[in-house]
Amino acid sequence: MVIFEIFYKFNSPFQNLNTPFLNIIIFAFLFHLQDIIHIQALAKKYKNSKVNAVDEVQLNIVEGEKLGVFGPNGAGKTSLMAMLCGIVLPSSGSIYYHIDGKKLTCKDALPFIGYVPQDFAFYPELSAQQNLIYFGKMYGIPTNELNQRIDLLLEKLGLSAFRYQLLSTFSGGMKRRINLAIGILNNPKVLFLDEPTVGVDVQSKYAIDQLLEELNKNGTTIVFTSHHLKESEQFCDRLVLLDKGKIIANGTMEALKQQYMVTDLEQLLIQLTGKELRDS
Amino acid sequence: MRKLRATLIKELQLLVHDKVGLLLMYAMPVVLVFIITLVQDSAFKIVNNNQLEIIVANHDKGTLGDTLVKMLEKSGTFIVEKNNRLSEKALQQKGITDGKLASIYIPTHFSASIENNSGNVTKLILVEFGMSEDSVKAAESTTITNLIVYFDPVLQENYQYTLKTNLQTLLSGMENQVLLRKLFKEMGYDAIPEHIASKMTGEQTAIVAKQASINGKTAVVPNATQHNVPAWSIFAMFFMVVSLGGNIVKERNSGSFVRLLTIPPSFSLTLISKMVLYLGVAISQLALLFAIGYWIFPFLELPALQMPGSIFQLFVVALLSGMAAVSYAVLIGTYAKTQEQANGFGAISIVIFAAIGGIWVPTFVMPTYLQNIALISPLHWCLEGFYSLFLKNGDWNSLSFSIIFLSLFTIICQILSFAKLKSQQYL
Repeated sequence: MVIFEIFYKFNSPFQNLNTPFLNIIIFAFLFHLQDIIHIQALAKKYKNSKVNAVDEVQLNIVEGEKLGVFGPNGAGKTSLMAMLCGIVLPSSGSIYYHIDGKKLTCKDALPFIGYVPQDFAFYPELSAQQNLIYFGKMYGIPTNELNQRIDLLLEKLGLSAFRYQLLSTFSGGMKRRINLAIGILNNPKVLFLDEPTVGVDVQSKYAIDQLLEELNKNGTTIVFTSHHLKESEQFCDRLVLLDKGKIIANGTMEALKQQYMVTDLEQLLIQLTGKELRDS
Repeated sequence: MRKLRATLIKELQLLVHDKVGLLLMYAMPVVLVFIITLVQDSAFKIVNNNQLEIIVANHDKGTLGDTLVKMLEKSGTFIVEKNNRLSEKALQQKGITDGKLASIYIPTHFSASIENNSGNVTKLILVEFGMSEDSVKAAESTTITNLIVYFDPVLQENYQYTLKTNLQTLLSGMENQVLLRKLFKEMGYDAIPEHIASKMTGEQTAIVAKQASINGKTAVVPNATQHNVPAWSIFAMFFMVVSLGGNIVKERNSGSFVRLLTIPPSFSLTLISKMVLYLGVAISQLALLFAIGYWIFPFLELPALQMPGSIFQLFVVALLSGMAAVSYAVLIGTYAKTQEQANGFGAISIVIFAAIGGIWVPTFVMPTYLQNIALISPLHWCLEGFYSLFLKNGDWNSLSFSIIFLSLFTIICQILSFAKLKSQQYL
């Protein structure tokens, strides 16, 4: 946490650095804390829309961090995530991944990405096992490894007893868990989660949080959006606040609290984006 | 290849779980083929094999009315109920209430009219041959008394026409007999000499009906089975647009599609798998319906389906028809935004294609402009191909137009689908 705070305080406005000694420290951190995603002047304008959904976004995502992306409805969170996952092509700007010492385009980085969308992204007509096997094979995971991974994930998410049950018969919490299981089948380097715990009971949420913490400890970078602000505040290492497609704040929670004189994320969001309803 | 196999298995699992889709693709065509063939076969038998129930009110004061009734009974085509007390008005009412398909009213002067007319014609013939100088005044004053037939309004026009033709044949035969008898009588005979009468009735020119075939070999006798099984199999195959088209839209609008976009080339594989699987479905639909026609129909007293000489040619036409059906379903599934759009537009367009393509009524009975429009219907070309094999002993030459059109149709559908998906960055 402290490392990130120091890093981000100095990462963007290098002009604030005024001592050569600090410069050396910062570059030492930069060397160890490698950006895994480098986003430059990223913009997205949809057909028939007058404004940019994402507007000139500059952002670096550091390997191993847990980054929370927040903002009101229509702020551009989902569009940003969709471009990072290669689902939507940017109108302008660039995204590069740095994985295993290689600079990769979004398309080339897809095998290293896991994506857990807000909508259930599986086939409800099939069983948990059938879904996991299908998506696992699509990721190109060898059969033996896939079977082991399926057993492990179902065990960790408490779904082993339901593996042959059709997903259409699952409860909301079970569906969220299997949705996550499919998204991390390929052991991704970067995991994107869009509202991973929306509408789940406390037990399911706990199981999901535990698994995400474990993945992160094992080196997976996590980028997520959520409307559970209190929990997210504790979970993420860094926050990015978006409004009208632009980044309006970026830093650790502690740094942002000090900067904007607020006590929590909810206050921060209200202060920066206003109380006006954002129904579009 | 491993991914394609996984996608194929997934699609098969989804299909197995789609009970309604399976019913629509397999049970519906089977029921349809059974019903349509049974109905058409019964209609064919009504006119050609079965005896039609008719009611006759004979008010004729002469003998020809009775002769006609006897001829109707002897013909074997009719079951005649006689009720001479019925007036013309009462007859038509009785016919409808008793469920008779036709009611025949023989008027009072029926015999007199025929006798009179035949007498005049006889005189004209004799004058023409110079055998008589009698005046033809009588011929000018002849009034014909018509035979009146009331049809049950539910009897379709073509059946009415067939019935009328049968009656006209009997009537003409009877009139000819009267005419000859008159002629011989005018020439001094008491009756038509026996040897002439027997020659006239015994040595008539018969019509030998044969089926034309492309290779000159004996072709199959057309019947309800031979027409309907291929025709409705094609309709069923194309009706998969409701299942496959809707399936593609559902996949596109589902959350799993978003995930698949992050695992390229998943969506291309998904589409290919769907096409391969549904092509298999189309071929299996044909195999099922042909098997039913071949093995089950005889148990229902329907004519058995006679398979064409070349199974390979049949397979080629079936494969191209299946590919055309699948490609059209993919096209609909690609352009439709909702399942409702895909199902509605898909189903209606297939019904229109079927109607103009000759599935229900042959294209040759349609007006010329409709016959030209029929050329754009893929179902028309499928039907042409199957009829060429099932009815005409067709060869590759006769199949060439079907093969070319169906291939072109498939390619165009695929290109349009590809262009749309590419523009949406799905491929």
